[in-house]
Amino acid sequence: MTIVGESLRRVDALDKVTGKTVFSVDFTLPDMLYARALRSPFPHARILHVDVERAKRVPGVRGVVKGEDVAHYGLYGMAIKDQPILAIDKVRYIGDPIVAVAAVDEEIAEEALALVRVDYEELSPVFDPLEAMRPDAVLIHENMMDYEYTPLNFPVTGTNICSHFKLRVGNVEEGFRISDEVFEDTFSTQAQQNCAMEPRMSLAMVDPSGRIAVWTSTQSVYATLRGLSDLFNTPQNKIRVVAPPLGGGFGTKMYLKAEPIAVVLAQRTGGKPVKFQWTREEEFTVPTMRHPAIIDVKTGVKRDGTLVAREIEIIWDTGAYVDNGTLVCRNGSFSAPGPYKTPHVKVDGYCVYTNKIVGGAIRGFGLPQPMFAIESQMDIIAEGLGIDPMEMRLKNAVEEGTVSASNQRIAHTALKECIVEAALASNWKDRKRGPAGDGPIARGRGMAIMHKGTLTPTCSSAFAKVNEDGTVNVMCSTASLGQGNETALGQIAAETLGVPFDWVTVVGPDTDATPFDRSTTSSRSTFHMGNAVRSAVLDAKRELLEMAAKEFEASPDDITVDQGLVFPRKRPSEGLTIKELMQKYFGGVGTVIGKGRFHTRGGKLDPDTALGDVFSAFWMFSCVVADVEIDTETGKVRVVKVVSANDVGKAINPAICEQQIEGGTLMGMGYGLLEELLFDNGKILNDSFRDYKIPTLTEAPEVVPLLIEKPNPDGPFGAKGMAEEAIVSVAPAIANAVYHATGVRVKSLPITPEKILKGLRERGKAS
Amino acid sequence: MLITRFKIAEGGDVGEMKTKTVEVEINGTRYRLRVKAKTTLLELIRDQLKLTGTKRGCDTGDCGACTVIVDGKAVNACLYLAAHAHGEKVTTIEGLQGDGGSLHPLQQAFIDHYAVQCGFCTPGIILAAKAFLDENPHPTREAIRQALAGNLCRCGTHNRVLEAVWDAAGQVSQGKKGEGT
Repeated sequence: MTIVGESLRRVDALDKVTGKTVFSVDFTLPDMLYARALRSPFPHARILHVDVERAKRVPGVRGVVKGEDVAHYGLYGMAIKDQPILAIDKVRYIGDPIVAVAAVDEEIAEEALALVRVDYEELSPVFDPLEAMRPDAVLIHENMMDYEYTPLNFPVTGTNICSHFKLRVGNVEEGFRISDEVFEDTFSTQAQQNCAMEPRMSLAMVDPSGRIAVWTSTQSVYATLRGLSDLFNTPQNKIRVVAPPLGGGFGTKMYLKAEPIAVVLAQRTGGKPVKFQWTREEEFTVPTMRHPAIIDVKTGVKRDGTLVAREIEIIWDTGAYVDNGTLVCRNGSFSAPGPYKTPHVKVDGYCVYTNKIVGGAIRGFGLPQPMFAIESQMDIIAEGLGIDPMEMRLKNAVEEGTVSASNQRIAHTALKECIVEAALASNWKDRKRGPAGDGPIARGRGMAIMHKGTLTPTCSSAFAKVNEDGTVNVMCSTASLGQGNETALGQIAAETLGVPFDWVTVVGPDTDATPFDRSTTSSRSTFHMGNAVRSAVLDAKRELLEMAAKEFEASPDDITVDQGLVFPRKRPSEGLTIKELMQKYFGGVGTVIGKGRFHTRGGKLDPDTALGDVFSAFWMFSCVVADVEIDTETGKVRVVKVVSANDVGKAINPAICEQQIEGGTLMGMGYGLLEELLFDNGKILNDSFRDYKIPTLTEAPEVVPLLIEKPNPDGPFGAKGMAEEAIVSVAPAIANAVYHATGVRVKSLPITPEKILKGLRERGKAS
Repeated sequence: MLITRFKIAEGGDVGEMKTKTVEVEINGTRYRLRVKAKTTLLELIRDQLKLTGTKRGCDTGDCGACTVIVDGKAVNACLYLAAHAHGEKVTTIEGLQGDGGSLHPLQQAFIDHYAVQCGFCTPGIILAAKAFLDENPHPTREAIRQALAGNLCRCGTHNRVLEAVWDAAGQVSQGKKGEGT
């Protein structure tokens, strides 16, 4: 291999450093109008009356729409259809859209919204998920059981519990009975915001014929297509969805978000396109947050550290609507027992409505919450039993051919290699706790490991179009979020066909042109789309080889393609270029196209036990070791160094894999130490980058990314997904390092100076 | 090239709007533009001149995606009134390349060090780095960290940005030495 495995320069970088990339928000159309939405100031209220007459009369306003105007379209939602385009009878969180306006500019649209009059009757809200679960709680969705939902949801009648997920492996009571020691701890995690630097944008246009076109910042043009087709009762060939390059996605730019409002406005503007771009404040307060979670873990172990039983209960605060929150609950709860062998497991995950911002997908998809709990507790157990935390993990970690705590047979893993390599690179065995010199600084080192599956079953497809000159366009619907898909998929295509890398161009998502792909999420593109692209290119190559076989009077098996030349293996001097070969074959102009598809099977789990089928087409694994310094006078934590060893199967482009690891590490550090949406009666108090801090260059620690390569037989060239791995273990590794340094065990994220100082004070009192 | 453009909102009364004429040099081209008193430099650059390399990330001066250089200083264009740019020289990302499109050493270094992921924050970071290096041709790594702390990146390119700017700093100062001799 000469192309796959090389850190080739990113093909998107030149346009990005010169400012030429046209991101979603940069996309414009002639005569387009600008949309704004009026959003609820109340967390829970009945809408009595909406008066838009004065708004309609503002000069420059071209379209005004309120809930009842579009109520006939019904409700939408990926997992549970619980959300109207605009609020109809009531609002359920601060930010719920009520009225939308399209005008010649945003200022006029805002002016018009200021003239809308809404009469509300306030209802008592519920913000605490534990309170929301009580039998006498106020119901946020009174008709929940009448909603349409997919079989992956398990709503509980007469409650705010929109899904109760259950995993049952072995006999957990028996497991605790035969354990030598039992550890019980409660952990909690906070709301994290995705903070993609580009706010989301949807630009919609409706033809006189009714055909809808949407340019939108989405991670899946096909999920958007399906969502819009369903919502507007319009066949899929009458809708076009295009996703320009996105300024970050991180999971939240998925499913219908700004699109429905852009479309209903565009239906009312006589064919003029409508652009609906969210403000940063909307980015903070409206779309999906990472679910806050409360996690109870009870673990039974043998005295030698062998895990025997685990009982876990997780409350997922999913906010006012589901979006795909119930799938986050399913994925996180299923995988909650971690990458360990544990024969007796019981997990209950409760996904609960509250009157808050909607919870949904963000990098890690339900794993950062339980892995913080599990990995913190692994250190608590290790200390309790007097075992080194690394040895504790190595002793219980899954291996190839073993069955995980979630009852999945692990076909491919390099987890133990990750642990060993991370330990070596961080000099684990020499870790020293405690003060550094005479000053107030204490040093510590902590470890955490993780696993995560990819959504299964899913499907990806691709076309490979060989051009007249032998260059290739790969057409696929993988969205460009910054993850380097154009480069990595191009490398797979060039290597497969046998042409130079710069002969390949990867064409981005447009449902009129690029074939079906489930989504650019779940760390699935390199694996699924990589396989689809490889198969599409092989399909085209097969045709070229057949042409060549005829030309050279040889068997196709004896023909090879290298550097764009096609020749019989034993007679390389007779080679033809791909261009010459096609010209000869067609007697003029003609080209070859290939098609490829890859899909996975599984996911049919028993609703009462989650047993009985493959959960994931592959599992991701990683190990993080964090070094921290804590100022014991201020409680401030500085992360000095993070070693992150990741099971990647095969790195198609090592530098791009390292970028993913570094990015996940930084976001994980923000989750561990800095980031938290703060609520006051449902209102988000820190809705700007001034008040919600994400890591900057001043806080960035040294990151040592390690790529652990062990070919995955199912992946293209041995690759597996790896994008989400790196974030998951960072917060628990930091928590363990903080404990190692200070003896303070912080069980709630983020680990703030206040929590550390409180812990130090309590320790001071105790001693 | 002189351009005079003024977008009048339909139905609006021009007489009521406070407008100003701004003469400004952007990327070496002089413009005379009519702007509203409250028009920001970001709106002028993105909406009137269609130079979309300058990004709108927050509108509150907190993310740095709209960083441009005015009179040698990096500014958040979203907080800078267009009228204040009167008589100034402004550089946006579109104006950074040399003759014949040759890349600025910072641009090349960002490519070489893989300091780009989604790329939305990249133009702002490069311009903040340029303004900084112009003033501080021999910076320490710590000084680079401080100088770029106001430019947010969610993809986590931080350490590669640091290496790219460090690398470019070497090249830029060498280049300047070369010019002097």
